[in-house]
Amino acid sequence: MLKTLIDAFALISTWEVIISMFAASVYGLVIGSLPGLSATMATALLVPVTFYLSPIAAIATIVAASSMAIFSGDIPGALLRIPGTPASAAYADEAYAMTRKGQAELALGAGVWFSAVGGIAGVLSLMILAPPLAEIALSFSTFEYFWLALLGLMCATLVARSSPVKAIAGMFIGLLVACIGIENPGGIPRFTFGLTDLFGGIEPIPALVGVFAVAQVMRAMLTPEPPPLPRRKFGSIMAGQWRLTKLYHWQMTRGNIVGIIIGVLPGAGADMAAWVSYATSKRFSKEPEKFGTGHVEGLVEAGASNNASIASGWVPSLLFGIPGDTIAAIAIGVLYMKGLNPGPTLFTEKASSMYAIYLMFIIANIMMIPLGIAMIRVAAYILLAPRSAIMPIIMLCCAVGSFAIGNNMFGVVTVAAFGVIGYVMEANGYPVAAMVLGIVMGTMVEQAFVTSLIKSDGSILPFFERPVAAILAAMAIGALLWPVMVWIWRKVKPVQTAAATSR
Amino acid sequence: MRLPDSVTGSFLVVLGAAAAYGGYILPPVPGQPVGPNVFPLVIGCGLALCGLAIVFGIGHSFEEEEELVPFEDGQAAAPPPQSRLYGLRALLPPALLLFYVVAADRLGFIITAAIMVYVTSTALGAKWKLALPLAALSPFAIHLIFGKLLRVPLPAGLLPAPW
Repeated sequence: MLKTLIDAFALISTWEVIISMFAASVYGLVIGSLPGLSATMATALLVPVTFYLSPIAAIATIVAASSMAIFSGDIPGALLRIPGTPASAAYADEAYAMTRKGQAELALGAGVWFSAVGGIAGVLSLMILAPPLAEIALSFSTFEYFWLALLGLMCATLVARSSPVKAIAGMFIGLLVACIGIENPGGIPRFTFGLTDLFGGIEPIPALVGVFAVAQVMRAMLTPEPPPLPRRKFGSIMAGQWRLTKLYHWQMTRGNIVGIIIGVLPGAGADMAAWVSYATSKRFSKEPEKFGTGHVEGLVEAGASNNASIASGWVPSLLFGIPGDTIAAIAIGVLYMKGLNPGPTLFTEKASSMYAIYLMFIIANIMMIPLGIAMIRVAAYILLAPRSAIMPIIMLCCAVGSFAIGNNMFGVVTVAAFGVIGYVMEANGYPVAAMVLGIVMGTMVEQAFVTSLIKSDGSILPFFERPVAAILAAMAIGALLWPVMVWIWRKVKPVQTAAATSR
Repeated sequence: MRLPDSVTGSFLVVLGAAAAYGGYILPPVPGQPVGPNVFPLVIGCGLALCGLAIVFGIGHSFEEEEELVPFEDGQAAAPPPQSRLYGLRALLPPALLLFYVVAADRLGFIITAAIMVYVTSTALGAKWKLALPLAALSPFAIHLIFGKLLRVPLPAGLLPAPW
């Protein structure tokens, strides 16, 4: 244990790791603070760069950039009422109301402080949850993996803030994309239409860059430019945060726990955590009437929640290769690329790398406090950059980055195609996160499914025979039937209330 | 690009059916009951069923109206489109990426990138005072990071980078 910890320290105390972590932090802060550029997009555009780094440095950049971007989305939310990332959307109104009351420092300080606390709580959950789960996961057979993957996919469709049918359709589209190529049980070209470029299948990373970055540039073409930020002087940013921590320690803890749980659930990430926590905070507050008028309580809970979900999203990713959110989906791609294939054995064979990941999360969240304060002070200048200067650079990064992944122009075609797919899906209410999950998990789902079918020899019984498999199966089927039950309940309920009022 | 549910649903039915058929005609692995054909078959059927459900409006009540067009930057809906062609502006980014694929090898990275940057920037409303210097400088910056530092073999074409 101690030796692994020392090894982990040795792994991260190289100049490469330190510099890339610092650079990625600054990058994450800047991208996160620009409205319209989300944390997922920041991470996706980072992948081509990580390609050229050592494994630990590559993960360091992702850890640092994603944590920072989630916090820094609060800045334009508080100052302009425009959330920088979707994860800050839940409480942007509240933070802006505080700014109008002259409490911008308190709102932004709460953003930094409770983000950092939440992030560290998330890492603790990763450190506590992952090893025992890895013990259990070691005894999993393909049946358990099949149900687990199905459960993960179903969760992603359940939590989507859209029609569950459309979410399931999005997931199927993703799985269908994963079918392309020769990497299938028969090793024959499938859905390649005779194109050699498709033989290797669709790389998940260019697809993600397309869905999150190109689609965003496409949306920018049709939306008006956000207003510029008024220049202002800030007082002390951290003043009063300790008082808030003591006053709202219960809200903070609840936010952390909710964030951790939502982060672990596949497909649900920081934005969902913030919405749920803000709503919980309002529901259980002693003074709910103050919400919406510039009350810091909801900010504390939601800020603690969205950053906690970032680290806990790595739990299922590292253990099973099932991404906890879209950022973790990208991280899984990088893990595979770097030879750190997700799975329970990662915790025994590469224990020092795992400890290095924990340490990097902790360091990133500590660094967030000074860097975040600096970022708040210079945000006014960064937000002066017009969108017409940023989006072209994003486009160039998309083109070069997707080319760099395989030194192949086909990557650029993939990015363009998935930009269109992502744009059309989003515009029509199909959640893209479900498709992304399908793409990332497709090969694994198919392998588990087909191997299980071969092993069971046509019988359906082995899918339910083992106790863990039976539990997972019950959960997965429950998740599948849940929307149906809600739908029926909604159909029945108005009839009942109508009957009650007529009586 | 907001299409009626009946259109997107029908498209999914067709896509699902095509996938299921495409999976069905794949050759099986000799001596093995399940091969590469099973998974596309299952997914295709599932997708077609979802498509049917969407056509018939099942699950529509779950959609929150204001969530239909989620702009990430929290903006209200776009201003009413000026003309039919206005919506097509959204296709500019993917078109430019395809232009990059076609032209980069012949024109070289610097020139192609400069054209891409200039067009995107102008389309987003930049004056030439901003777009021109941006198009002149940013390709070199990107080339420095990716071409020089990360050693991505970017095409030289007509105008090689000075390093």
